[in-house]
Amino acid sequence: MKREEDPTMGSISRRDFLKRSMGAGLAGGVILTGMDKVALASTGEPVGTFIDLTKCDGCPGKDTPACVAGCRTANQHKFPEPAVENIADYWPQKKHEDWTDKKGLTTRLTPYNWTFVQKVKVEHEGAVHEVSLPRRCMHCDNPPCVKVCPFSAQEKKPEGPVVIDDELCFGGAKCRDVCPWGIPARQAGVGLYLKLAPQLAGGGAMYKCDLCYDRLEQGKLPACIEACPNEAMQIGEQSEMLEAAKARATETDGYVYGEKENGGTSTFYVSPVPFEKVHKALMEQKQQQENPQAPGFPGMPVNAENFLESTNGLAISLLVAPLAGMVGAGAAAYRTMKGQGQEEPPPISSGDTEHEQEVEAGDE
Amino acid sequence: MSRTIDVRQERIKRHGFSGRFVHWTVALSTVVLVISGLGQLPLFKRYFVDTLPGLGWTSDFGVTLQLHYFAAAALTLAVVYHVIFHSLRREFDIVPRRGDLKESYQIIKAMFGRGEEPDSDKYLAEQRVAYAFIGGAILLVIATGYLKAVKNLPGVELSYWLLWTTTTLHNLAMFLIIMGIGGHLAAFLIKENRALLPGMFTGRVSLAYARERHCLWCEGLGLSGRSGSASDPDAGGREGAAAGGAAMASPGQTGDSRAA
Repeated sequence: MKREEDPTMGSISRRDFLKRSMGAGLAGGVILTGMDKVALASTGEPVGTFIDLTKCDGCPGKDTPACVAGCRTANQHKFPEPAVENIADYWPQKKHEDWTDKKGLTTRLTPYNWTFVQKVKVEHEGAVHEVSLPRRCMHCDNPPCVKVCPFSAQEKKPEGPVVIDDELCFGGAKCRDVCPWGIPARQAGVGLYLKLAPQLAGGGAMYKCDLCYDRLEQGKLPACIEACPNEAMQIGEQSEMLEAAKARATETDGYVYGEKENGGTSTFYVSPVPFEKVHKALMEQKQQQENPQAPGFPGMPVNAENFLESTNGLAISLLVAPLAGMVGAGAAAYRTMKGQGQEEPPPISSGDTEHEQEVEAGDE
Repeated sequence: MSRTIDVRQERIKRHGFSGRFVHWTVALSTVVLVISGLGQLPLFKRYFVDTLPGLGWTSDFGVTLQLHYFAAAALTLAVVYHVIFHSLRREFDIVPRRGDLKESYQIIKAMFGRGEEPDSDKYLAEQRVAYAFIGGAILLVIATGYLKAVKNLPGVELSYWLLWTTTTLHNLAMFLIIMGIGGHLAAFLIKENRALLPGMFTGRVSLAYARERHCLWCEGLGLSGRSGSASDPDAGGREGAAAGGAAMASPGQTGDSRAA
């Protein structure tokens, strides 16, 4: 396969990546620990990925794109296995999310399918581009899914990947609601809620791409990257991946996605067409689906706002509050104490309001 | 007006503006925090609460989280105000004392007609214990809440252990606070405690009640306690003034009772 070069570092193949990681030594975010092995260094920079949409062709001719098939094989041991036969509804609602009869579905994100490839046709500058988009968790820099989880069942690993602990997850799906792409998928009938009050609270557990964290720990590449026949996906230090994406965009007169979205992510797409047009095409496609409200078919909203941005603007009030309390208390204490030593009436008043005597005493 | 009626209608100041401001700010902000906090779990959509008229906002995480921040700021302001104000004035009547648990047990037993209720200061021993319980839970919820707010800022990543511990303690503190509020409100199911209710609205409670139940407080203020009020309110007042008392009353709080 012909490999295209970029001005800063060239295209990074798996082999190049391993060689470069070896050169970076222990200081790198990703290091080589032996032949064909990649390991995460806890002190290094977080990892990022670069997905080159000018190279991804969606694996035409294959039933399932190679990255999707690779992911499903590598991660099947993490997929949910509901222990109960008849999964109860989310009382008092008359529904629950059960994907067990759709385990083979590869055209959207489900608890059993953590990556998939969307395909859109987009007209740009007089030409029609067919764009294939491998989709999965973006592994954000300030992930609201992690930060607002009521039980801290998610973690942003120091090495970059965002990982869900499905044994701690209660399946409220809040993480999906605050994710601009609605990535996490819910499976009922599994998880901690079954041990508490499954009829009344809890919804299962959430599942999504963890960037093959277990494989990274073992010194392996994420399965999707390893499986891609076009070397359209790369992994390396996050800043290096962003540089690579930008260089590729410059080279191809393309567009970068993932640098600013949701306050910054560690997944960088480069497309030959503007992502506004990609997003529009995806949303049109979604509307044509049998159930447009069904989860697992993300758009690509440009400059998507981080859920925590507006709330973080209020953080200043939490700084001002104790200071205001201190100043107010000091002023009030001074005002009520300055008259001490003078003879004051007793803290007693008659029930007759006309003759009630107001006296500052008691606790003030 | 007869002397009996006169005595019954007389009231003694129990809480000033600061005390009531803190109490009601804490109460209101805590209710908002509990509701908006439960909204983070998330509950209101599942149980159709957001379909009730005017409650559509309850399932909007953005709205409930912002509400949580506002209420947290109000709660923190009130708590800091409370601690600083009373520390400066050296008023520690409500701080638990040695033997309060045992005395609380005696008070509760007496409410059910078993044994005699011990003489109390400005606050009953059980009130001091309840204050410590709720106050401790509030301090825990504030400390962990601040850490959670810091964690939400871009670029801040807590270690997973700290994140999980903070979240779990915050949830635990919320549970304790709900229990505390329940216990606080349940106390007013007991008739003897209801005379304290006006104190948090008007700042004043019945003097007759105070003399009967908080006689050590009254004596500390130089007013007659339980024994004095039985016969001559005036006599008790003078005795009480001589006896001093445990309440840390500020200067200016002593004086002759107008009951005389």
